[in-house]
Amino acid sequence: MEQRTLWSRMMAIDRRILYLILAVNIVGALMARVVLEPNIPPAVRSFYETIEALQPGDIVMVSSTWSAGTLAENQPQFEAVLRHLMRKRLRFTIISFTPPARDISHRLARRLTREQGYVEGKDWAHFGYTPDIVLAVKGMSEDIAQAVRQDVRRVPIQQLEVMRGIKSLKDYKLVVDITPSDTLTAWISFRPRDLKIIYCPTSVMAAEAYTFLDSKQILGMITGAKGAYEYEHLLGIVGLGTRFINAIQFSHVLIITFILLGNFAMFMQRRSRS
Amino acid sequence: MFDTRENIWAAFWMIGAAILIFALIPLLQTLPPRGRYLLIAFVTFIAGLFFAAEFFLPVDEKTGKNFLTDPFQRLQGSLQVITALSLGLGTYGLIRLHLRNAVQRRAQWGYSIVLLVSFVTMAFFSVWNTLAEKGLLGVQRTPLLERAFTLLFDYTLVQLDATMFSLIAFYIFSAAYRAFRIRSVEASILMFTAMIVMIGIVPLGKFISDSIGLPIMMTDEMRTNPFALETILYSLRLPEVANWILNVLNAPVQRAIEFGVGIGALAMAIRLWLSLERGIT
Repeated sequence: MEQRTLWSRMMAIDRRILYLILAVNIVGALMARVVLEPNIPPAVRSFYETIEALQPGDIVMVSSTWSAGTLAENQPQFEAVLRHLMRKRLRFTIISFTPPARDISHRLARRLTREQGYVEGKDWAHFGYTPDIVLAVKGMSEDIAQAVRQDVRRVPIQQLEVMRGIKSLKDYKLVVDITPSDTLTAWISFRPRDLKIIYCPTSVMAAEAYTFLDSKQILGMITGAKGAYEYEHLLGIVGLGTRFINAIQFSHVLIITFILLGNFAMFMQRRSRS
Repeated sequence: MFDTRENIWAAFWMIGAAILIFALIPLLQTLPPRGRYLLIAFVTFIAGLFFAAEFFLPVDEKTGKNFLTDPFQRLQGSLQVITALSLGLGTYGLIRLHLRNAVQRRAQWGYSIVLLVSFVTMAFFSVWNTLAEKGLLGVQRTPLLERAFTLLFDYTLVQLDATMFSLIAFYIFSAAYRAFRIRSVEASILMFTAMIVMIGIVPLGKFISDSIGLPIMMTDEMRTNPFALETILYSLRLPEVANWILNVLNAPVQRAIEFGVGIGALAMAIRLWLSLERGIT
């Protein structure tokens, strides 16, 4: 039987120990009071500046197609975006393309808007859930009242005060797409030509969006909770992104450390064998 | 029962459509496989042709529409009906399977009971909540409903869903430790690139770069002289390197992948449209 060395033990470490180390690291990082200043990437800065350039009373479409699975990444983005829109006194409407996304975004938006004195139907509205994004975007580009018909509370679109003077997506100034899935390409392909888009993907989806940033098809992007932290820093608020950033960065460090340790153990084991 | 005459008509339409659809199912079953295949292929082809024609036909300069645009928008309603029907079909299949499991006491039938009880409880309070929210059937919001729905949705479903997804982090950590081995040049490049991006994009990357004394800002003078030591040192900041990797190396590769995927999707769409895929019957 082969003698078990430190290196072979390290390579065969029980996965439950690894899980425990990560859990302790995350809990510790969430409780830590360390706040490091972020480096603001150009995509986050232009995201912020795109909203800043809007005038009070302008209307924005928030496409919210995330559910609890990606809550840790999309909720900080959603909250920060809504706070920014309300700070600028912009009108906004929300639409979801999955049923759970409708429930989560509506409940969250109701809470946030109540805090800021926004009134549902007057300052903002939720268009509920629509199953096909392509048909929805094409339909709304022509006539929102015909494509959506009523808001989530069953109030007809024409009767919503927030929609006064708004017939189609052509009257909107901006779309904010908050999503862990591939809804961005539908917005890019089928929106009215002049409608600007900014994007809030999860970290895993962000890599694909750099092509659209490069081509200016999207004007800005905040990536996951990390992006939300950078955006919150620009807004000067402490939100979920700020609370999560330590857990993210210290987990990155931990993963890198353990990858290096694993490789070092492999190298040492090979060396001892030879 | 309903608020307006329009809703009553809508209900009649829905019931009529449901009867028609449920009558069509046995009719389809009576057809021989070849006939069924031809019918489905025909409907698929016409539907695909409609969507393609609406997209490719030129539009009027003033209205931005062609003659298919308006029917296309109306189709959105029928798509919701199809989605609802498929959801109903899925629910029926799920309940039938687990009811059978429970009744016949098959292996792990206890889980089926849990699923059925959870399903009925969640559905009951969800429907109640929706009716109360929309003021339908005179249903009112009560403290019991508020508490039960918050408990089930916010404190159970949302948390369980979030937990399931969060577990991936633990698997990634374990898998990265066990599997990420530098056995080739390619693996080494991949690993070091990943490390730079992982550290460079978080605030720690900026902190490390500042701590080792790399220039904090790109000045106008540095911009005009790209080969000056200061400029080179600034370019070595971890956030700058990470951004460069994402924008200069990653973006073109993603574009190439998406181009390939697009061509593959087009080929797949044509096969589906022409019913060349297997399993149509």
